[in-house]
Amino acid sequence: MRISRSVYLLFLTVVLIIYYLVAAVYLNNLGYYNHESLFYIEKTRIVFDGVGARLKVMGLTSPMIPFMATFFFTNISYTLAPALASALGTGLLFFVIASTLIKRRDDDFFMYLLLAIFLFHPGILYTAASGKSTYLVLMFFFLFFLNLLKFYRSNTTFHVSIASICLVTLIFCDYKFVWLTLFFLPLVLTITIHSLNLGEQESIFRLFLSFNSPSLRRKLVNKTFALYIIIFALPLVAVLCYKLLNLTHASDLNYFNESPYATWNVLIDKLSFDQQTTNTNYQIPEISLLISARVLMFCPMILIAIYLFRESTYQILTLLTPFAFIEFLHLKYDKVYIAYQYYMVFLVLAFLCVMFKSQTVKNQKTFRLILAVTVIVQLYTGWYFLKTSPIAEDRNFLSVLTKRTEDETQSDNADIAGYINSLPDDVHILLDDATAYGVVAFVNQQKIKALTMPYQDNFLSGVESPDKAADYILIATDKNLVTGYTQLNNRYLVSIKRTLPQLVFKRVYETDNWIMFRVVK
Amino acid sequence: MSIPELLIKDGFITADDREKIDRYSSESGLSFIKIALTLGYISRKNYERSLNEVGIEFAQIREMEYDQDVLDKIDLSFANEHLALPLRIENGKVVTVMANPDDELFVDFIKFTYDLEPHIIIASDLDITWLSNKLIGEKYVKSSVFELLKRDPDSSAVVTFSSAQLVFIFILIGVVAVGLVMSFKNTSIILNVIISSFFLVAIIFKLFLALVGSRFELHQAVTKEELKLTIDDELPIYTILLPVYKEDKLIKKLIWNLQAIDYPRHKLDVKLLIEEDDDKTLNAVRNLDFPAIFEVLVVPYHMPKTKPKACNYGLHFARGKYLTIYDAEDIPDTDQLKKVVSLFGKLPSEYICVQSALNYFNRNENFLTRMFTLEYSYWFDYMLPGLDTLDIPIPLGGTSNHFKLQELIDLGAWDPFNVTEDADLGVRAYAKGHKIAIINSTTYEEANNEPFNWIRQRSRWIKGYMQTYLVHMRDPVKLVKKIGWKGFLGFNFFIGATPVIFLVYPLLLTFFICYIIFDLSSIRTLFPDWVLFMSIFNLMVGNILMIYVNMMAVFKRRYYELILFAIANPIYWLMHSISAYKGLYQLVTNPFYWEKTNHGLSKVNNPTNVVK
Repeated sequence: MRISRSVYLLFLTVVLIIYYLVAAVYLNNLGYYNHESLFYIEKTRIVFDGVGARLKVMGLTSPMIPFMATFFFTNISYTLAPALASALGTGLLFFVIASTLIKRRDDDFFMYLLLAIFLFHPGILYTAASGKSTYLVLMFFFLFFLNLLKFYRSNTTFHVSIASICLVTLIFCDYKFVWLTLFFLPLVLTITIHSLNLGEQESIFRLFLSFNSPSLRRKLVNKTFALYIIIFALPLVAVLCYKLLNLTHASDLNYFNESPYATWNVLIDKLSFDQQTTNTNYQIPEISLLISARVLMFCPMILIAIYLFRESTYQILTLLTPFAFIEFLHLKYDKVYIAYQYYMVFLVLAFLCVMFKSQTVKNQKTFRLILAVTVIVQLYTGWYFLKTSPIAEDRNFLSVLTKRTEDETQSDNADIAGYINSLPDDVHILLDDATAYGVVAFVNQQKIKALTMPYQDNFLSGVESPDKAADYILIATDKNLVTGYTQLNNRYLVSIKRTLPQLVFKRVYETDNWIMFRVVK
Repeated sequence: MSIPELLIKDGFITADDREKIDRYSSESGLSFIKIALTLGYISRKNYERSLNEVGIEFAQIREMEYDQDVLDKIDLSFANEHLALPLRIENGKVVTVMANPDDELFVDFIKFTYDLEPHIIIASDLDITWLSNKLIGEKYVKSSVFELLKRDPDSSAVVTFSSAQLVFIFILIGVVAVGLVMSFKNTSIILNVIISSFFLVAIIFKLFLALVGSRFELHQAVTKEELKLTIDDELPIYTILLPVYKEDKLIKKLIWNLQAIDYPRHKLDVKLLIEEDDDKTLNAVRNLDFPAIFEVLVVPYHMPKTKPKACNYGLHFARGKYLTIYDAEDIPDTDQLKKVVSLFGKLPSEYICVQSALNYFNRNENFLTRMFTLEYSYWFDYMLPGLDTLDIPIPLGGTSNHFKLQELIDLGAWDPFNVTEDADLGVRAYAKGHKIAIINSTTYEEANNEPFNWIRQRSRWIKGYMQTYLVHMRDPVKLVKKIGWKGFLGFNFFIGATPVIFLVYPLLLTFFICYIIFDLSSIRTLFPDWVLFMSIFNLMVGNILMIYVNMMAVFKRRYYELILFAIANPIYWLMHSISAYKGLYQLVTNPFYWEKTNHGLSKVNNPTNVVK
């Protein structure tokens, strides 16, 4: 009996998922965590075990979809949940891409290429085993562009609406993708010009014709506007609603994006900024245009993709949109390094384009050879970019992966959490999870109720009069990189002693970054 | 001089026309005058003029005396075919009204049947039709009303609420009342959560259907190439029913639209169904100064006075293999009938009906017509294809549904007690194991452009949906067995949920206004924040999704100028809610009442929709 391609694909996906799960669990056992996964773990613990405005935490934690995706795995283990979600999600990403592939090409060569990427590309392994949201970003980025390309071909509302829905999801996986819409503004005009029924083929002359005939001009304006609405209405309205939700529940439109209680990015970006401005080791800065050059280095296959679409201006422009997007990110967030996931999107985009247009190439042999070489180069550049990433946790992932030794990065947080776990259940511990989320992530399930954190109404009164509301306080030491971003640091101790001189704080446990004080009443 | 010769002499028909009429008469059994007056050869005015010139005047026959025993010996079909009717026996002769005194076949019929010579009175064919249908149409009209009830009482809406349904409704009301008495707050919270969640789920289902439907928007059920393969001589006779009531303003338009249909004229069996008391329309037909291409049938008075009853009546005289219904103002794509024939030819036999898309020619007339166009665009271009793809019962649109005639009769035809007989028939067809297909052809109708008229029409539709839902949910287990779980859920979310959505919409909107705009403290004491948040979320997301679905549909139709009007959908839905409450009230007090929609209010003139 011959196994059908889809069954075969399902089997491959299951094997890949097992592979990713093994990697994720193995790395997790070595103690590998990153800020994003720790943040999700901490918020998930609050949602399921906390006391207080848990609904608000659930609704306003951002990015929303990756955070909620971890919920499915909390029954297995809180600390493993993000890694399990990403392992399974990356398997699903493979399935989505591969099923698109088998619908278009009845050719195993491309499947081998895809498998090579998904098995060996360090970026994909990073996506699968890290617990980060990259897998969702890649999936919806892929689906967005896939549907856009399908729309170019079929001109059906279905594909453009699905693209729009994917864009909404993408934005809720990483809010920065909202800026992608900016670069689609001129693109939509070119798409409309292309779709007008004109004898002239050259875009510029089509534009000239359309602007100089009143009826065509009206049609062009109406159609362009309608296309804008169909693509952007859902994302913009969804963002607007989400902002209103933030306004009504947190009195701040941008709470989800700017509060360290709502998203992990805020603190990490600030840290990145601090490191960049104080770093004594000189690193090659990310310069505009060089970013695009770095992308080409990271993913040379995108050049092939551009070559394949060379005959259509607006489709080339579509492919260039992500370039403009990351250049813009660099300008807008000028002190923040471009994260690895923004390079990764080019990997899936390039493969998508190759899938779409590969059959148009006449000399398939040379083409395949070039593709194979490109994939090998990409495997190397993927590794190289991780190794030399300006972001410490990217480098850390590669180091744990290659050295396979215990990761000590979070040991400090785990130590202090271990101490909290050893305390009796009925004590009240005051801590600020804007910076201490890494600690809370390791706290036992039954101890979450003992913690007093900013999402609870009694946190402020606890800060004002710890003698009444807290038995212990967790203070960030001066060595702690994030000490400046929390109220509960050494300066707090000084000020509270000034206000309440009778209070005595007894140092009960100390690590490099944290000190646990017992409030002596 | 015979009548045909007279008409040729007067130049109203040619010798060639006469030959054609005679040939068709011998093929079909229809009389010469019937063909001449109903297949576009001569106008009634010209016919009267010809007779007048030779000294013949039409007699006024409506009040004439008649003898029931004489009438009992003639069948209505025969009288209609010959436009003649024997009334009584007087002075040893049968007093017979005839439109054409030359009709020898009918004269022979009189002689043989009554064994007497006829005394012929010449009258207008319309008066003869009116009189014959009134006097000998009773058994047909009774059959039109009671046939379904007799044959399949479970499918008839003559009983609105079954006993079990009444028990269920009252138990439900009782449980809610007890709940409110025992714990007002908790019961209100539960009700609020259920209602608002239902609202969102029902709209998400619509979005899902729209996406499924939009996926196949390029699919052409019948391609141009397939259409070219149809051979005129092999086409079957096609019946078109045109039920009208006081549509005198639209008769001329109707003829233009019918003439544009690309189908051999002799193979069209067009029936204009006029109610007995509708002299306005009858006179409009009489006063036409150009040839009509339809046969007039007068539906005798019988309650309920509904469109399905009229259609059932017309069905008794239909000669076609296929049958469709158009409204008087409809402008179908000119190739629609040929497309349907072609589609039926390639569909499996279980497909008994083909539904065309409906849209509006006067879409840019005012706000209401624009909103109506948005609604119809998503309904017919996305929802119905979506239902079709998922194999869920399709509620047929009011017009442009094309049936296989025999299967339609076997199914029991339309339910005269249901005010959305079309939706009901769609579900009934599925329940009996038949299927309905959607075709890539559009009929342009006149969108209602007047708010009160719109509410009247909509209240009837929503009441009809409620009726249909109640009829088919008399035995839910049986329904599941017939149409499966998918069909059952689809039926509940599409037919059942539609009136419910409109009924709960103002409630949700009230919460929203109280909470957000007026910031009422009392509502906060009743509902905790999470409940209000949830209901507002459901309301907002529901509305946004509906707006988006509307936008998608007009985008597909390339009505780009209408896209922003989709934003007004929440206001448009308020009008739906008014209609829904009116429909609900009528469902209880006057379930079979047919809220008449006035047509012909539009000032927009649209050319026929010629498909190139």
